[in-house]
Amino acid sequence: MNQFVFESRQKQLFISAMILGLVCLLITFFTDDAYHSRFWSNILHNSVFFTGVGFLAIFVLSAKFLAYSGWHTIFKRVWESFSMFLPIGLGLMILIIIGIWGHFHHLYHWTDKAAVEADPVLAGKSGFLNPMIYTLFTIGIVGIWIYFAKRIRNISLAEDQEGGPLNFTFHRKLKITGAIFLPIAGFSSAAIIWLWIMSVDAHWYSTLFAWYTTASWLISMLALTILLLLYLKSKGYYTLVTDEHLHDLNKYLFAFSIFWTYLWFSQYMLIWYANVGEETVYFQTRMNEYPVLFYGNLIMNFVLPFLILIRNDNKRKVGVMVFVAVLVLFGHWVDFFLMLKPGILHTIHEVMGHGHAVVEEAAAGHGHGEGHSSSVAGFSAPGLLEIGTFIGFLGLFFYSVFASMTKASMVPQNDPYLNESIHHHV
Amino acid sequence: MSSSSAKEVLFGLYDDETQLLDAVKAANSQHLEIDNVYTPFPVHGLDPLLGLEESRLHIAGFFYGLTGTSLAFGFMTWVFTRDWPIIFGGKPYFSAPSFIPITFELTVLFACIGMVVTFYTICGMGPGVKAKTLDDRITDDKFCIAFATAGLSNDDLGKLTNFFTETGASETNTKTL
Repeated sequence: MNQFVFESRQKQLFISAMILGLVCLLITFFTDDAYHSRFWSNILHNSVFFTGVGFLAIFVLSAKFLAYSGWHTIFKRVWESFSMFLPIGLGLMILIIIGIWGHFHHLYHWTDKAAVEADPVLAGKSGFLNPMIYTLFTIGIVGIWIYFAKRIRNISLAEDQEGGPLNFTFHRKLKITGAIFLPIAGFSSAAIIWLWIMSVDAHWYSTLFAWYTTASWLISMLALTILLLLYLKSKGYYTLVTDEHLHDLNKYLFAFSIFWTYLWFSQYMLIWYANVGEETVYFQTRMNEYPVLFYGNLIMNFVLPFLILIRNDNKRKVGVMVFVAVLVLFGHWVDFFLMLKPGILHTIHEVMGHGHAVVEEAAAGHGHGEGHSSSVAGFSAPGLLEIGTFIGFLGLFFYSVFASMTKASMVPQNDPYLNESIHHHV
Repeated sequence: MSSSSAKEVLFGLYDDETQLLDAVKAANSQHLEIDNVYTPFPVHGLDPLLGLEESRLHIAGFFYGLTGTSLAFGFMTWVFTRDWPIIFGGKPYFSAPSFIPITFELTVLFACIGMVVTFYTICGMGPGVKAKTLDDRITDDKFCIAFATAGLSNDDLGKLTNFFTETGASETNTKTL
């Protein structure tokens, strides 16, 4: 079975997931505060999460071309299909941009003109943190990613038509494309992470943050790859993908979970040791007001995957693989939740505290002002609506992935590294 | 594996690892009991053919690492909270985050040294120990299958010599280890 069939049952499943997500978003929209901050922050959270997954797929593919890697060749279409989600991701981010220009939401403190004028820190950063840069960088950078993703996809498809097992011309092109993309990807992803994620805590910054976030995206991408491959194998596709390939993917998952923890800890320890108030406030908020998520984050994304995947045979057992992949996928989604929501909540408190007309309305709805210790629905922890929205976005993501899977042969027949991949042995 | 008693060995040398793999398969199908196989580099697919179990060295490694973790963390905790408490930069005596890097280093150190010592002990290697080699070329470009010949009849020995000629061994020799 080399031609993927997008069954109507799968379509129904994904569409119903999307409807569930949409319903959850609508319920959120009608039940949250006057700024619809829960609604908008859920959109931002999931858009950023899945756009990053698409980006990391093309990033890893490029790295593999450059490293003359061959073991992944059988299932490289999966990563190509992941990267085909990027245009949708851009669309979702444009939604956020429209929200910024139309003042539909207050996710970012720096979009509030009055606040920027009154605040020397925000004023000092306004050369970078302003709606224009946000718009240009988002469209420009994701546009560049889409360009490279499409280019790599096209070369790969052309190879399928015109190449041959010993024809390296297409592969050379892929290598050159990858070589150009990697440095661009490295710097551009950092810039986009500052804008999309780090700037919700507009006063705070960390030089490690971009790496840390990228590691989170990478692990989510690997977890989704493992889950999708296991699913496709159970449907009778990818019989050539063996335990050996899955073993290597799980080694990645194991190693990058440790890498993520390394970055998490480096960021934490430097800030803890230096003890500068402007920096420690980030962890102060998260440790005191989100203790379950804060420590749960470390347990889900480090302790459990580390202890479970450290054993060799565990990386080959389907049950264990599924458990760990689902765990870290959810874990890193929560990680993004923890990056975004506390900052957004703080901004909302600030904006409402500045005597806007909607304060009374919001206070009537939720009864918060400076009440930091009390919990806020959708912010203190992911609620059912957040989970529903996540499922909706998962449906959207996989709908896009499956739709691109149908457009090409599942195994790239003419890739010169295919034979190596078939005989991959750990 | 090391053994102190002398061992009579009949061995054949092959030029190529595919020849070796085929020969091992042939030996398995003829129910010849291979004593050991020597190769200059790890040959993929050889372990399952020889019926070798997965090494348990890494399990030992995990516990060596765990020893390192607890020793390092425990020692620093004891020193900085009980034995000689010092305030560094206004931090509390028990400053767990600043213990982590050293804990990590000692975990790696203990796991490495523990595994090396275990491996050398199991293999009977060590400083000053002379290695018992069947043929120097098995560390270079030859692949070797060895049979223990102690207590074998001439008939059996003939079978083994036949086996080596059939499977294309370039040389056959005997040696006492």
